[in-house]
Formats: sequence, structure tokens, C-alpha cells
Amino acid sequence: MEVWDMLDAFLPQLLLVLFALLMPALDYWLKDKRILAFAALIPMLGYGLALVTWTIGGHWEPPETGIPLIEVNLFSGTFALAFVAVGIIVVLSSPDYIRGERNHGEYYSLILLAVTGMTVVALATDLVVLFIGLEIAGIASFALSGFSKKERRSAEAATKYFIVGGFSSALTLFAISLFYGVSGTTDIAAMGSQMEAMFSSLEGTRSVATLATVMLIAGLGFKIAAVPFHMWAPDVYEGAPTPISGLLAAASKKMGVAAMFKIFLVGIIVTKSDWDVAIAVIAIVTMTVGNLIAISQANIKRMLAYSSIAQAGYILIVLPVGTEYAVAGGLFHVLTHAFMKSGAFMVVAALAVRGVGERLDDYKGLSRRSPFLAVAMTLFLLSLAGIPPLAGFASKFVLFSSAVYASIDPGPSWLLWLAVAGVLNSALSLYYYARVIKKMYMEKGPEERVTVPKMTGAAILIALIMTIVLGIYFDAVVELCQEAAGSLLQAVS
Amino acid sequence: MLEYAWMIPVFPFVAFLLISLLPKRTLSWEDGAGYAIGGAAGALVLSVLVIGDVLAGNTMVGDGPKFNWLVIANIEVTFGIWVDQLTAVMLLVVAVVGTLVVIYSGGYMHEEGAGRRRYYAEIMLFISVMYGLVISDNYLQMFIFWELVGLCSYLLIGFWYEKPSAASAAKRAFIVTRVGDIMFMAGIIILFKYVGALDFAHLFGEEGVAAVPNDMMILATALIFGGAIGKSAQFPLHEWLPDAMEGPTTVSALIHAATMVKAGVYLTARSYPLLVQAPETLLFVAAIGGVTALIAATVALVATDIKRVLAYSTISQLGYMTLALGAGGYLVVYADTAGGYSAALFHLMNHAFFKALLFLCAGSVIHAVGTNDMRLMGGLGKKMRITSLTMLVGAIAIAGVPPFSGFWSKDEVLAAVYSAGEFDSLFFLLWAMGIATAFMTAFYMFRMWFMTFAGEPRSDYHAHESPKLMTVPLMILAVLAMSSGFALFVGDGFGYFAGESVAELFGGHHHESAADILAHIFGDPLTYVSLILATMGILLAYKIYYLPGFDRSVFARGVAGKLQRALENRWYISQFYDDFAVKVVYALSLVADAFDRYVIDGMVNGFAFLGARSGGLLRRAQSGNVQRYAVIIVVGLCLLLIFMLYVAPGGRW
Repeated sequence: MEVWDMLDAFLPQLLLVLFALLMPALDYWLKDKRILAFAALIPMLGYGLALVTWTIGGHWEPPETGIPLIEVNLFSGTFALAFVAVGIIVVLSSPDYIRGERNHGEYYSLILLAVTGMTVVALATDLVVLFIGLEIAGIASFALSGFSKKERRSAEAATKYFIVGGFSSALTLFAISLFYGVSGTTDIAAMGSQMEAMFSSLEGTRSVATLATVMLIAGLGFKIAAVPFHMWAPDVYEGAPTPISGLLAAASKKMGVAAMFKIFLVGIIVTKSDWDVAIAVIAIVTMTVGNLIAISQANIKRMLAYSSIAQAGYILIVLPVGTEYAVAGGLFHVLTHAFMKSGAFMVVAALAVRGVGERLDDYKGLSRRSPFLAVAMTLFLLSLAGIPPLAGFASKFVLFSSAVYASIDPGPSWLLWLAVAGVLNSALSLYYYARVIKKMYMEKGPEERVTVPKMTGAAILIALIMTIVLGIYFDAVVELCQEAAGSLLQAVS
Repeated sequence: MLEYAWMIPVFPFVAFLLISLLPKRTLSWEDGAGYAIGGAAGALVLSVLVIGDVLAGNTMVGDGPKFNWLVIANIEVTFGIWVDQLTAVMLLVVAVVGTLVVIYSGGYMHEEGAGRRRYYAEIMLFISVMYGLVISDNYLQMFIFWELVGLCSYLLIGFWYEKPSAASAAKRAFIVTRVGDIMFMAGIIILFKYVGALDFAHLFGEEGVAAVPNDMMILATALIFGGAIGKSAQFPLHEWLPDAMEGPTTVSALIHAATMVKAGVYLTARSYPLLVQAPETLLFVAAIGGVTALIAATVALVATDIKRVLAYSTISQLGYMTLALGAGGYLVVYADTAGGYSAALFHLMNHAFFKALLFLCAGSVIHAVGTNDMRLMGGLGKKMRITSLTMLVGAIAIAGVPPFSGFWSKDEVLAAVYSAGEFDSLFFLLWAMGIATAFMTAFYMFRMWFMTFAGEPRSDYHAHESPKLMTVPLMILAVLAMSSGFALFVGDGFGYFAGESVAELFGGHHHESAADILAHIFGDPLTYVSLILATMGILLAYKIYYLPGFDRSVFARGVAGKLQRALENRWYISQFYDDFAVKVVYALSLVADAFDRYVIDGMVNGFAFLGARSGGLLRRAQSGNVQRYAVIIVVGLCLLLIFMLYVAPGGRW
């Protein structure tokens, strides 16, 4: 009975793993592979429904967990919501995309495992569990990005992703062991109070902590594709099957964000004055480099890859600012970005299914070939650029204004520059987003109609509705994000 | 019933969605006219129920259902509804005129073909957002709808967008009103800065009013009134309204006579609790109103386009309302009576009915003759009996002949302005302008009627009476134009019905019986002054434009000729704007263009070049060589470590 009590909190993950194990068996039995996708949706829809009714609806409370390694709170709930939402969108649009491939069972199984790993990271309160979550999701996504075995690009992407990913995992693990050496614990909250106790003493220990912090920035910076640890991202996003690129950009990256929020804002918040400038610089460099290179891209998947590098730069603003409002803004941006970025990738996927290429020039005259996909793409891109009244505007607004507020109240005043850099970069990014819109609407291309693949269309529609709804009516969600931020930061105080 | 008021805009909005989204085959009966009439009628029924509730003495001011739209840090923006007597007046106008115009459109737009669907969709969207504007409970919500009605106005003026004149008129209306909108927004921002809220309940409450320093209150109210100047086509931003006549006549009747242009007057009336804190602004409001009334009336004297006569007449009458509001504020502050305020609203309602009638009659004429030029008409009275008679009713009403509606409200307006003269003698001058306007109004209206319907045809046309779908709304509006003035005598009198919104805030109003009001009106010698002038105006028009033998060439000679040319050129105001736009703005735009081209574009191109270059450089790093990626990670890691240990301000070495 006690075992069951303890596993209560892990029930959704157990369900995900169970279905992941079922998938290959189902694949063996089923002729119509689309049913596999629907089966894979079951645990995610269940989890998603539970999360929505709990976090936004407030209809029930999760039970107290008996396990010291994880905690179910609004912070983990909000992240899990983003992961599951992206998972649903990706699975929905997969059957159309991978029709010609073999081993569908493995594909869905790996997606479910990736989502499992991400949610474990969201739940973890211990560095070791956190690392296990990172690895579950990481290994699943290495395999997923190489799924199209016949395609050289895909195989190459998977190899690179695996090598660089392994390198980064090693750095993360090294950082974790150094932190353990400094604080004597792997529990993140305990580490925080332990570090606080020794903050004033032991000079030497502090430089070890600095070394660990740097390694952590490098290791997790790989996950979120922060410059200069971003090199793999464009190659992998381009080579991977497009739905998987969406999963990596919209969810896997957010897993890194969740881990960073936990460790930096709870575990090593005491040494904030050591790392805040460094991360601020990385944030600004990341958004600027991402946007600049995106301008010169001719392949839409690479462009979207650089665009999500830039988005990671925006989210990194949260760490140096560090206020509750900033974390709320970061969470909100994680949610909105999950929809707009996965939506954009799914449009690319839908077009690829119909034989439209991935070059920007292939998008010429799309508005006449498929008005729905053109409108959807336009709205996703405008949202990414931060144009009201779309979701991206709302979350960027909260995010950037948190830096402005913080530069006035707890200070230091240079935080203001983060907001300035963010706004300037948003303006810069409009340049390459608008170029795609221009190609779709103003330039002449082939005439024949493009029909929208049904399931991918449904996934795009979900993302589109959320992109609009979160831009107009976001009160409940912002409130949720603020409470979630509170539940993360209360561990400190 | 009041808590359901939010559903009023929903009906037309649903109609808008159905009309614009339903597939072509499903959308039967004249491309959506059925849905449009249904949507308008649904809103009418609900509006009538809400108005009934208000008449019974219920209001919902600040205590209605709200929902939080945006809560960030300490900023809270809620959306809600606000229903009081002022709202009820506007609801009545929008509901009645909106429904009648949509029915009339069934006949008027019959020949439009494929464009009808777009027309009905836009009209329904307009009606929906106009309702939204009227029931808003805060300035931000109101501003959003304010912009949306502006958008619909733009779309509908440019309905025949293939016609260059229509397209440019739409653009002009949009841009000119934008000048006012920006002032409106600036006013809102000032209020928000001091009060920290935007909803009327907070702003108009004692604390809200006290929070704004006096000089800022003057600025804020003047800026908000700036919004009204744009939207209600007041001098000097009035020239867009005559140009807006490029749209279909139904649009002119609904948007540019009865409802949207009233939004400015509505805004001024809504902001009364703030305006009375700033008598300087009130004087400004009254002066703008008086000048507008006079200038627009003079231009209407010589206009030959039937719709432009009505457009200038609308501007002039809107000037009356603004004048009454300005004077009314003085009366509230110094004499503790809401007489001017209620006069303005009373005139607003009456004007909506008779001006919509006049426009729809003009539409009926244009529909039959195929031209707007009155010089090519004449003699239509015999062929279009219903149209000519209903238009006569409208002309009598606006000219101010008792017992038609225009007489009562115009008399109230002028009486209020005159009594405000006691507190500032400028009002005597404004009153004189008002009286002169009354004379001219009677003249140009009958000039228009005689030129259109009397005499012999001056060109070759085959006119016929319009279909029932068009004449029935005309007859209903004619009955309203005759009778809506009697609202003054119903119950406590319209004056108090509308005045209540102010009286509630400031207390002190007196109930009078119908007989008292009547005795008051006809016991006042000033009433006879305006009556005599109106009669003279009509007789003069009769002499010049009806009786044969008058040599009209006298107008072309000497001083009269100069004056006529000035009037025909709209006092050169439009020309001034065009010159201004062409010379000054164009020069400015050249500078801006150069700045844009060389500095901004230069920066953007520089960025792009830099981007492409650095992109190229960085792409070289992005060789696809995985060993190099690892090297870059290590180099990055080392740089980061060096930065954190030695460079960053937190580094302690």
C-alpha cells in the first residue's frame, strides 16, 4: 500500500511508459498505422486533461507525494502542460508525415518516452532525478531525429546530435558532481540552503562552484541551444523528420529551461551575483546571433531553428532578472512558444507531406495554393515576432516588462538593457518572418492547390486556436504562471 | 434585463459571422440580407427590453458583470457593461435606425450583385461594434470599439473601392479621424496616470476626480474632446464627412448621420463628470460646436450635391449638440441644472431619426434618378409621392417647425445656450450663431426640397417610386421624425430621462409637468425669434427656388459672388488641407522618406548585411563538422569561465 502511495505522483509517467512499451506490440498487430497515433494520444490526453483541470480549472489537487525526489506543484504542472501539449500536436501530425517509413511503433514509443523524460525533469527536486529525466528524453530524441533511415540528412543529424549531446551530458554530470562536492547534497532546495550557509566562508569552494556553474551553463545551454552551444540545432532540426524538429524546438528545449530555472533560481541562487552578468550576456548574444543568422537562411526549417535559438535568448532573460514576475513571464513564454513554434513546424510538415519543399522559395504564392496553411503560417510567424493580439506578444510583453520592473525595484539597473535588447531583437526578427509572409502572399508561384492533410491540419488548428486565444484572453494563464513561479521560488525563502 | 445587455452586440455579430463564413450556396435570400435583418431585429428587441428597464428606473453603473481581461503586476483591466439613461438613448438610436436601414438596404442594394455579401457583413459588424461602444464601462474598451467603428466606416465608405474617389475618401476619413483618436488616447493615458484606472466607476467617483490635478484635468478633457472633434466631424476636422458621402447612401444614413458620428457627442456626454471639473474645456467645447454649426450651415447653402447638403447639415447639427453640451456643462456647474445636457441628448435622438429619414429619402431619389446632382433633378414630386412627402416631413422637422421633433430639441438647445450667457457672455455670441444657423438650416433644407421635387425635370430621366422594402422604412422614420419630439412630455419629460445620468451625480433637478414645459417654451420670447427666422428661411427658399421669375444670377456678382465662390470652395478649408498636405506634409514626408531610406533602411540594410556577413562567417563555423562543434563548445566554456572569474562584476579576482 505504501508503494502505491508513493507511486501516486508518478502515475502519469507510468501510464506513458506503459503505452510506450505497448506501441511496438500494437504495431505488430495493427494494419492501419494511424490507430497507433490515436493510441499514443490516450495517455497524453489523459495527462493533459488532468493537468488542465488541476492547474487552470482548480477542480482538484494532486496528492502529497511521499517521494523526496520529486514534487508535484504548479511549476511542474505548467511545464508538463507545455510538454504534453507539444506531444499531442506532434503525434497528431505524425501519421501523415511518416506514412512511407517503417517501424511506426518505435516512433510513437520514443515520442512517449521523450515526453516522459521531460515531465520527469519538470517534477524533479533532486539533481540525479533531473539528470535521469534529461537522459531519458535525450536518448529518445537522438533516436527520433535519425528516424528516417533512408535519408542521409536524418542519419547525419542523429549522429551529430548524439555526439554533441553526449559531450554535453558529460558536462552536466560533471557539474552536478562538483555541486555535490561543494554542498554535500543532491537535493536542489537543500543545496540552496547549504550554499547559503557557506556563502561567506571558503573562498576556494566558491571557485569550484563557479566552475560547476560554467559547466552547467554549457551542458544545459546545449539543451536550450544557447550560443555558443547551439551549433547542433540547425543541422538537427533540418535533418530530423519535421514533426520531431517541432518536438525538439518546442518541448525538448523547454526541458532545459525547466532544469535551468530549478538549479539557478533555487539551487545556486546565493551565488547569483557571480553568474547573472554572464547569463545576461549569453542571453543577449543568443538572441542577436539567432536572429542575425536566421536572416540569411534559405531553408525554412533552418530559419525556424535559428528563430528558436533567439527565443531561447529571450527566455534566458528570466535568470538574471530572477523575480517572481520574470519567472511567470518565462513560463508564459514557454507555453506560448510551445504552440506557435510547433504550429509553424507542423505547417512545414503538412506541406512536406504534399511535396512542397523546405526552401523559402517553395513557399511562393502559397496563399493561393492553400489559404488555410498560409494564414496559419502567417499567424504563427507574426506571433513569434511578437505582434499583438497574438500569444507571442502577450508573453514577450510580460517577459520584457519584468526586466523593466526589476531594473527599478530590486535592481541592478542594467537589467533594463535586457528588455531593450529583447525589443530590438524582436524588431529584427520581424524582418525574416515578414519575408516568408511576403513570399506566401505577394510573389507568384505554382498554381496547383495543396490540400491539407487531415490530422496534421487538426494539429495546426489546435496550435492556431491556442496562439490566438492566449493572445487575447490570457488572464487565467498569466495568473497560473504567477502562482507557478511562486511555487518554484518559495523553496528558496 | 440589464445584466443581459452584453448580448445586444452578440446578435449582429453572429449575423456578421454567418454572412461572412457560410458557403455561398447556403447563403440564400439576397446574399445574407435575411441574416442581417434577423441580427438587427434581435438586437432591437433586446435593446427595447433594456431601455424599458432603464425607463423603469434601473441602471447598471459600475456594478454590472465584469471580467478581468488583463491583470499584470498592479495593472488591472476589466471589461464590463454600463447601462444608464445616456446608454439607453444611444441604444434606441442605434437599434431603430440600424434595423430600418438594414431593411431598406434590401431594396437599395438589390442591384449590387456579388458585393452584397460584403456589404451586409460589414454593416452587421458595424452595428455590433457600435453597440459595443455604447455599452462599454471603461475608456479602454470604448477606445477599442471606437477604433472598430472607424474601421467599419473606412470599409463602407470605400465600398465601391474600384472608384478612385471612393477609395481616397475612405482613406481621408480614416486618417483625419485618426488625428482625433490619438488625442483621445493621450487623454486616456493622462487619466490613467493619475487615477490608475480606466473604468468609469473609478474615474467618475469622488476619489478619481480628486486624483487629477486641475490643469491636467483641463488637458485630459480637452484631449478626449479632441477624439470627439474627429469622430463627430467638428471644425476644424470636419471635412472628411462630406467626402465620406462616396459610400452607399444607406451607409451615410446609418454611420455618417445617425450613429457613428454621434459617438463623439456620446463621448463628450459620457465624460461629463470630468468635463464639469474643467469649465475652460467646456467653453472650448461650446465654441467649437457653435463655429462648426455656423460654418457647415453656410456651406450647405450652396452645395448642389444632394448628399453633400445633408452631410454639411449633419455637421451643423452635430455642432448644435456639441454647443449644447458645452453650455450645459456651464449650467451644471453654475446653475445646478442639467438642461443643456438633456437638450443635447434630446437633439441627438431627434436628429438621428430625421436625418436618417432625409438620407434614406435622398437614397430613394438617387436610386430613381441615378445622379446626386440636384441641378439635374426637379419635378420628382409627382413621380415619387411617398419619397417626396416623407422628405418634406424630414425637412420640416430639421427646419424647426412645431410640432415636429426638430423644433422642440432645437429650442431646448438654444434656450440652454442663452441661459448659459448669464455666466459667460461668450454664450450670447454663440447663441446668435445658433440662431443664424437655424435660419440657414430652414433655407437650405427647403432649397434642397424645391430643387429636387418641385418644378419641371431639368434632365432626361425615368424616375419611379422605390419598392416597398424602401418606402416602408421611410414612412416609419417619418412618423418618428414627426413624433419623437413629444418624448419631452412623456412622464417626467425626456429632459429628465436623459438628464438623470448627470443629475444622479450632482443632485438637484426639478420635475416639471408637460403643461409647465409647454408654458415655459411658449412663454419665452426667444422661441418666437427662432420660429420667425425658420419661417423666413423657408419663405426665402420658396421665393428663390419655387416661384418663377427670380434672377439667381445676382448671386454671381459682386460681394455675393465672392461669398458664393468661397462657400462653393467650402471656405477653402478643404483646399487649405490639400495645400497643406501637398506642400508642408509632402516636404516633411520627403525628409521622413530620406531619413527612412538612408538612416533606418541603412541601419536595416546594415544589419542585414552584417547579418548576411556574420551569418556567412558564422556559417563557416557552422561547417557541419562535428569535431569543430565540440571545439567551439570547449572554447565557449573556457571563455565563459574566464569571463565569470575575471571580467564580470561578480568576479572577485
